[in-house]
Amino acid sequence: MANEESVDARTAEELLRRFEPVIRFTRGEWFYPMDSEPYVEACSLWVARPGEDAVCVVPAGELTLERLAQQPEDTTGAVHYLKIPNPRSERGRRGSKHSHTDPDWPHETFHAGRGRLARVGYLSRLADALFSLTLLARGRVPGGDVEGGRVLYGRYMEKGERFTYHGNVVRQDGWIVLRYWLFYAFNDWRSNVFGANDHESDWEKIFIYLSESDDGEVRPEWVAYAAHEETGDGLRRRWDDPELEKVGEHPVAYVCCGSHATRYFRGEYLTELAFPLPRPISAVRRILRRFWYVTLRQYADEDYRDKPYEQFTIPFVDYGRGDGLSVGPGQDREWERPRLMTPVPAWISDYRGLWGLYTRDPFEGEDAPAGPMYNRDKTVSREWFDPVGWAGLDKVPTRAEELEVIKGRQAELEESRNLLRSELREKSNELRALGMDAEATRDQSHLSKLHERQTQHIAELSGEVERLRAQLSDDEILSASLADHAEGLREGKRPPASAHIMHAARPVSESETHAGRVAQLWASISIAIVLVTIILIIAYERQHLLGALVFAIAAFAFVEAGFRRRLTRFMVSLNLTLAVVGALVILQNFFWAVVVLAVLAVGLYILWENLRELGS
Amino acid sequence: MYRQTRLLGLLLLLQVVAMVGTGVWLYASIDWSVITDVSDKSNEILLKTADKATAKQLERAVLFTVYFLGPVVLLFLAGLGFVLLRRRGWMLASVGQALIMLACLFYYGASRPWYAYPIIAYCILMILLLNSRGVRAVVGRRRLTRTEARAEIAHGE
Repeated sequence: MANEESVDARTAEELLRRFEPVIRFTRGEWFYPMDSEPYVEACSLWVARPGEDAVCVVPAGELTLERLAQQPEDTTGAVHYLKIPNPRSERGRRGSKHSHTDPDWPHETFHAGRGRLARVGYLSRLADALFSLTLLARGRVPGGDVEGGRVLYGRYMEKGERFTYHGNVVRQDGWIVLRYWLFYAFNDWRSNVFGANDHESDWEKIFIYLSESDDGEVRPEWVAYAAHEETGDGLRRRWDDPELEKVGEHPVAYVCCGSHATRYFRGEYLTELAFPLPRPISAVRRILRRFWYVTLRQYADEDYRDKPYEQFTIPFVDYGRGDGLSVGPGQDREWERPRLMTPVPAWISDYRGLWGLYTRDPFEGEDAPAGPMYNRDKTVSREWFDPVGWAGLDKVPTRAEELEVIKGRQAELEESRNLLRSELREKSNELRALGMDAEATRDQSHLSKLHERQTQHIAELSGEVERLRAQLSDDEILSASLADHAEGLREGKRPPASAHIMHAARPVSESETHAGRVAQLWASISIAIVLVTIILIIAYERQHLLGALVFAIAAFAFVEAGFRRRLTRFMVSLNLTLAVVGALVILQNFFWAVVVLAVLAVGLYILWENLRELGS
Repeated sequence: MYRQTRLLGLLLLLQVVAMVGTGVWLYASIDWSVITDVSDKSNEILLKTADKATAKQLERAVLFTVYFLGPVVLLFLAGLGFVLLRRRGWMLASVGQALIMLACLFYYGASRPWYAYPIIAYCILMILLLNSRGVRAVVGRRRLTRTEARAEIAHGE
């Protein structure tokens, strides 16, 4: 199935334990990495077939990891999923509102602190409010699901606090990949941490990439932390990167509260969730941007100009403060013996369903994730079949292989250059011969057709020779660069550790984190004030409805932009919009006058150009 | 380097002159002889007229003052900033243009007077100029701190 080979269980466990990460959580975290077995045993297994109500296949208390692997036969479009038991229905069956079996968990709750809302815009605050409204409108008990997760995990921790990761080790393209899979009973980012989504269960991961020398000694070279759906170069850090925090041989990761996104630095992150825009809207956006920046040569900040136009993003805050429990070697809590996934157990390979509630969420944000091996759509996940490519390492050889790869490439280039030289000789000879032929047939009327063909052939051949010479020159430069690079590597010179990172995820600055009291107050009340103002305008300012609405919204947005230090960007956007509306108004009222003026302007420009030519 | 911003400053001052001129013309074209002050308090003015056309003219002039007095002050300060201080006044000018455009496009509504159109056209031109790369590059340039300036000189040597 994969282009990888497993490492035997004993070696795998040794390696996993040797480099196991230190994970620092945020104070107020409810769910820590746990063994998946007790979770599965507490859940029920359900199947949802298209157009039908979900059916319970295995009730809670009867499910095991072995049984999970023997899921009933699939039908097209069927989704198997686990479900955390709802503690309220359990209590209901027992006929009491409160249960004395409720675990005393968690011991701490999360505090967002000042400035959470001040860091995100109106849209996020509106989305925040809408999320709360949908919870009420859905008819589910608000926080009911997270309550189930809390009870399940609390009961697990009451039996003795245990912190476990799952792990397996594979070889791919010369790399030994240590894969640490962190299983959490619940992602409570929305319910408890004011984030974007909630879902039952969470599978997160940390990969460490080792190279192996000829004598079998392994050396860590790279590490990759998963955060949301990110993939590629930005995920990984070089082992000798001074920014990568380590405790001995153990890399340090900061897990964000609720979302469990894993970060390299402690702090608070603005995470942008992207939603796709309908194609016509993104096309219009693209055309307008092109017109604005290219045709009108207008200015834009780099990050704004490069923003994808087919997406609409809402920022949320991810809290990776690292001020809570620290788990790992020599920390507040030690890791339990890992649950090894070598050889791959059947509950990983044969269960393709979701590890928690299937909500049929069109954006999938509220659906539980699938296991380590699969995506939600049951396809094999990239991090499983291509862990090296997942972190963008497929183009990077191990340190032990670097010089060998360069040598091979140089040999390849040498061979290619020899071929090019011989081809060049041949083509140059042919070109020179053709040149003589053409000279001999020039100005002879009976050979004019032949001369024309020869001239055409010469042009083609000349182009080809030029291309070959350019290629030869490029290859020579490349070969020299490779030799320099190899020399540098031999002397122990390395490229900068963060050279591969284009957009590193970094926490927001201290000043942004501690937004002023007024900014925080404004952020908390602004949405309500906007709505009340709009209603008042509609009720009492019907005469100037449009003007009053536009002015009020612009005024609110101006204040908002001021607090978020984006006044310049806001003014540019506002003025751009007003300029477009103004141009349309002028066009509507003076269409023919504008046409005449435009023609006149073009005529005058041509006249000016011609006169300049005459004068020169 | 600062030629473009100085030109922008002059254009902003020209806009101020034009706007003030329009205001003066609006007040000058009112027939004040048919308007009487009916206020009985010394520090209050209450005007009354029987002539509808004059009342309309007066309303226009007052609305013009209400809508454009603030933005014109902003533009004046921005214009002086660009002319005298080279790169100060971008935000004032932008806010001024936005307020003028909002008034011309939305507050006047269907009863938009003829002079609103040239004002809109001029504002569009100024908005494009304010956001042009040349102007933004000058305005956005950070002043070097002493240490940075010294380092740059040392590097140059």
